[in-house]
Amino acid sequence: MNQEHLLEVRNLTTAFRIQGNLFPAVRGIDLHLDRNETLALVGESGCGKSITALSIMRLIPQPPGEIVSGEVFMKGIDLLTLPEERMRKIRGNKMAMIFQEPMTSLNPVLTVGFQIMEALIYHQDVTNVKAKELAIEIMNQVKIPSASRRFKDYPHQFSGGQRQRVMIAMALACRPEIILADEPTTALDVTIQAQILYLLAELKREYSMAMIFITHNLGIVASIADRVAVMYGGEIVEVAPVGDLFEKPRHPYTEMLLRAVPRVDLNIEKLSYIPGQVPSIDRMPPGCHYAPRCDLRMELCDRQDADLVPLPGEPAHRVRCWIRGDSREIQDKP
Amino acid sequence: MIKFVLNRFLLSIPTLLAILTIVFLIARVIPGDPASVILGDSASQEALENLRHRLGLDQSLIQQYIQFITGVFRGNLGDSLVSGTSVMREVLNVLPYTIDLTIAGVLIGIVFGVPLGILTALYRNSFLDFIARILSLIGLSFPAFYSAILLIIVFSLQLGWFPVISSGNLLDPVQRLHHLILPACNLGLIMVAYVTRATRSSMLDVLREDYMRTAKAKGIPGMVILFRHALRNALIPIITVIGLYIGVLVGNSVLTEIVFNRPGLGKLIIGALNQRDYTMLQGLMVVYSIIIVITNLITDLTYGFSDPRVKYS
Ligand SMILES: Nc1ncnc2c1ncn2[C@@H]1O[C@H](COP(=O)(O)OP(=O)(O)OP(=O)(O)O)[C@@H](O)[C@H]1O
Ligand SMILES: [Mg+2]
Repeated sequence: MNQEHLLEVRNLTTAFRIQGNLFPAVRGIDLHLDRNETLALVGESGCGKSITALSIMRLIPQPPGEIVSGEVFMKGIDLLTLPEERMRKIRGNKMAMIFQEPMTSLNPVLTVGFQIMEALIYHQDVTNVKAKELAIEIMNQVKIPSASRRFKDYPHQFSGGQRQRVMIAMALACRPEIILADEPTTALDVTIQAQILYLLAELKREYSMAMIFITHNLGIVASIADRVAVMYGGEIVEVAPVGDLFEKPRHPYTEMLLRAVPRVDLNIEKLSYIPGQVPSIDRMPPGCHYAPRCDLRMELCDRQDADLVPLPGEPAHRVRCWIRGDSREIQDKP
Repeated sequence: MIKFVLNRFLLSIPTLLAILTIVFLIARVIPGDPASVILGDSASQEALENLRHRLGLDQSLIQQYIQFITGVFRGNLGDSLVSGTSVMREVLNVLPYTIDLTIAGVLIGIVFGVPLGILTALYRNSFLDFIARILSLIGLSFPAFYSAILLIIVFSLQLGWFPVISSGNLLDPVQRLHHLILPACNLGLIMVAYVTRATRSSMLDVLREDYMRTAKAKGIPGMVILFRHALRNALIPIITVIGLYIGVLVGNSVLTEIVFNRPGLGKLIIGALNQRDYTMLQGLMVVYSIIIVITNLITDLTYGFSDPRVKYS
């Protein structure tokens, strides 16, 4: 490690057992996150975004899931080798997660206030009274109206948008250094989506947190991220600073994704969609995962997967493609 | 909250009325004259008239109905045809035994069934789960009178730990408990089986819920997640199941009381059947109906207190 990142994931592979065989859902994930940075993780449904985040938090359901290999360093400590009890003290404290489904992710029989307080009780040396005070304070910060009165209400008494605010309050209660937001706005309607995004960006700045923001909406990415990692079929296929990715995408899949974003300045005929779909984890092609859907594919693509390598002269922009990235290795291959 | 309790309480009154009406009608609709059934074919016309008058059968149906309902609400269930004593008094004499037995059976079911259900859910498809599933299947398919006989043979006759005839003096708590244990275990076995199954499946559902992952992501200790986040939710359907099976339990308690020769409603009902004690039977049907309605009310209230979504909607 030449320079220590806040979070660094190396060669992470997480697999699921399906009818006795292990199939990787994410494979060879390399990524890093620095202080105050927002990394967007984008890709179609089923490409492994959630599994990546859950693996970092060590929340993969086991069985059927299993982290097969890799390292997840947080400030130099490999989380994957920590004893469960030490990992527990990191979860919700130093690193917190916001989930996709605000309707089902809150416990229906516990009051909202208590659910926010809970993380404080178990991670910080505070009395119940103080924890309650702090919980109400954070409820105010996520702009839940009349927080102290709503403290005693149950999740079913809140709307979808408010529940997502509660989820955010819960995740931020202990002021974590890293926040993993897994499509926090997907389940909400558009006007509320914008409010929640704005709130998240604001709090992130205020608390100076680093964030991995998972989405399949590239429109959101442009406004919130510093860097973007594009995933396909369980692998990262391209990583770049957000400007570079939008201006000069290299991977054919990224190009396709960008062309599929609806834009006001283009009419609907110009909008393209990506034919086919992400292969399921037990039907991954042996070579490049995107090859079956790729216009540029060559014979090598079907045989062997490329590595994620930096572009010449652009160390921050890395691509996993025989044609657009890994060209130096093509020469070596017969 | 008071409104909720009052509401449920008032709602159970029409239910009770409906059941009482059915009990009343059953006794009148059954073909044949109760008086001649009771006295036999050789009874004189005068004796029949007398009995009909005593039973109030010479009055109009409406009059009989009004008398019956007002009697029930005043706590008067008529007099036994055989002994002439008040049915209510006979019931009250043995009711503590049946209540002891039923409550003990339910408690045994909960105390053993819930932890067993949790364990088998946590370690599903393990050896423990397998054994527990087979045992609960046996428990469910085992007739109550048969298990009662086995228990008596082993624990009363061979080991001599418990009395063969479990009556027990109500005023002596130690003796009362000592006499209760064996019949309660007999009743409880089935309840353990039901509660284990219900807990297991309910826990398995809850463990799959998104909010369980949220709780884990918050870094709460595992035991707290299990009891506060999982069990609190899993209990809601378990309460319903327990409430439902208390009805089954009351039925099984009849058999248990007979095999253990223990005083109780069950023995009273068999006696009444054998002696064609018509008023006693009708009175007991009323008592059983009231027990079931009260059980349902308690289940409903418990349910409401454990699920905030019920209370407030
Ligand atoms: N419990 C599981 N058992 C088997 N396969 C699983 C399991 N959970 C996830 N997978 C598979 O892993 C792959 C990645 O899933 P993941 O949830 O990470 O997708 P995602 O990118 O988050 O998609 P979405 O946008 O729909 O949330 C999918 O193909 C999925 O089918
Ligand atoms: Mg997902």
